[in-house]
Amino acid sequence: MKSREQEYKEIFIAEALEYYDALNRHISDLEKRPQDDQVLAEIFRLLHNLKANAKAIGYLHISDLSHKLETAFSLIRNKELSFSDEVVAVLFDGIDLLGDLITNIDNDSYGEPDPVLLRNLDIIVDNLSGSTIELAKVQRYNTSKNLSLSDLIYIQIKKLDHMLNLVGELMIDRDRVLSISRELDNDELKSVSSHLYRITEELQYSVMDARLVSIGSLFNKFPRIIRDIATAEGKTINLSLIGQEIQIDRNILQIITDSLLHLVRNAITHGIERPEEREKKGKSREGHVSLVARNDRDNVVIKLSDDGKGIDFKQVRKAAVEQKLVASDVAAGLSNSDLLGFLFEPGFSLAKEVTEFSGRGVGLDVVKNAIDSIGGRINIDSEKGKGTSFTMQLPTSIAVKGALLFEVADIFYAIPLIHTESVVAMETDELHEVGDVLLADVKGETITVVYLNELLNAPEETMRLGDKTKLSGLIQNIIIVSYNNRKLGLIVDKMYRQQDIVVKPLSKPLDTIDLYGGVTLLGTGKVCLVLDVPAITRYFIHRR
Amino acid sequence: MNRILIVDDSFYMRTMLKNMLTDAGYEVVGEAPNGQTALELAKETKPDLITLDVILPDNTGLDVLKGIKSEQPDMKIVIVSAVGQEVIVNEALDHGALAYIVKPFSEEKVLEVVSKALSA
Repeated sequence: MKSREQEYKEIFIAEALEYYDALNRHISDLEKRPQDDQVLAEIFRLLHNLKANAKAIGYLHISDLSHKLETAFSLIRNKELSFSDEVVAVLFDGIDLLGDLITNIDNDSYGEPDPVLLRNLDIIVDNLSGSTIELAKVQRYNTSKNLSLSDLIYIQIKKLDHMLNLVGELMIDRDRVLSISRELDNDELKSVSSHLYRITEELQYSVMDARLVSIGSLFNKFPRIIRDIATAEGKTINLSLIGQEIQIDRNILQIITDSLLHLVRNAITHGIERPEEREKKGKSREGHVSLVARNDRDNVVIKLSDDGKGIDFKQVRKAAVEQKLVASDVAAGLSNSDLLGFLFEPGFSLAKEVTEFSGRGVGLDVVKNAIDSIGGRINIDSEKGKGTSFTMQLPTSIAVKGALLFEVADIFYAIPLIHTESVVAMETDELHEVGDVLLADVKGETITVVYLNELLNAPEETMRLGDKTKLSGLIQNIIIVSYNNRKLGLIVDKMYRQQDIVVKPLSKPLDTIDLYGGVTLLGTGKVCLVLDVPAITRYFIHRR
Repeated sequence: MNRILIVDDSFYMRTMLKNMLTDAGYEVVGEAPNGQTALELAKETKPDLITLDVILPDNTGLDVLKGIKSEQPDMKIVIVSAVGQEVIVNEALDHGALAYIVKPFSEEKVLEVVSKALSA
């Protein structure tokens, strides 16, 4: 695990390099428009932050230089110093030197900053440039630089994938060794295996950590994309991005890239109204789209919101009936949140026209599948006339998942925590036989409850899920799971614990059984099947 | 547990503050990197206290201070600022900020000022 100092240092360097890039961009702008107050204010802010951060962490060369540059720019802002050619040259040199100092933080042989350059900065800061004192003719600063190799290396993602797979295998064996050492009750073996446990855990976190990238690497592509789509659609969009620094596994980010792009396109083409239309409704002509990322316990949450026309629930109800997803009498009684679930059904569409950017037959079901495949969740919220938001809850890592372990008919099973809502104990009397299922009232909500032993083990032709006599005991342990706004209660025989598991894909011929998402090995060496909550939920929707 | 909102445009500063405050048992309910988000989060999270940097990308910290105070006059606000901003800091105190912390700050100083402000 990284120490806090190390983490602070990495954050400092990453942010300092970002500031350095921005400074270079802004000073070039300033050369073209020397009196642009906004650019000056921005340069001032960046140097100000760099100064404060460098001082806090103790890089005094950087804070001193930032301070000198900040003073120079505040003189320019107050029109006490003119942005003349000589001054510009010194400022460019100063910013180059800042970049050098930042990239050489770990390089002990770097030495002191160039004194001539610092002296030049002092001259302009002391506002002497107007007088006859000449700025020392330094050799253009960056021609005298030494060559240095970067401390960063690029690595192919498939090498990291391989490492992560090996760590997964190692974790399974580690749990097994730990369990054997307890069985044998051998102290030496116990001490070796607990050491092995810690090392493996640290290795797991380092490999997971090496795979993290900041969400900004995806978010920062959107301003340009949104501008292009908006222009083609004749709309104006104001995009706000928050949480670019949040970190996530690179492959997870890769998998959701297309989905996010699809949702953003939808938001602009179908969500945001044309400027005239917005004005009529009393909204600003400019549409607002925001992408926000944040950490939520072990997950990363990405929320895309627009302030467009929102989802017309009447239209969803009508389309669901027309597309034969639900009978019209049932549809009439469905709540708005039930209706939102239809948007993720394969082939479901509300789009009437195909434009260049949306409505090419790729529906939200594709987005949903991508997110399911990495064990994430997606929810929609919408209010007619106000806008729509999509919230994606994503795991930070692919390989290791928190899961709830339980037993049914002496076999171990697990359910990923991302799908579990709660665990309840209920009296068998509180379950009601309705048609061929059981229903229960859980905290005011009517939920379909399934006896897993019957679902998983009874032959299809004699399976009777609505028969209470199949249950044993007076109290039933029920895990409430949820997927796509639909909740389901699963009756299990015995509840165990929460545990991090490494999910392996099922091997043939089991991979055709679609109620299982994979398999894992427990420390005892026992096989544990991982239930696929999306598949089980779909199974019940199609039965209905 | 007292709930605190951090407003600072530097991720580094936000991380340091957040760690210091969380370690001391406070709940950090939000982090805002700019004035707009600060105003939204102040409204949305209704914290017990806000730490506010005075130099922000969109509004100045002062506008944020006035904005929050106009809607939530009793909100406790502590200014976090680097040296050289004394003019703004004084104006912030005139507009109802309770105290200020100068960057670079020590953990003791931050906790002392925050706990005093909370009990004010």
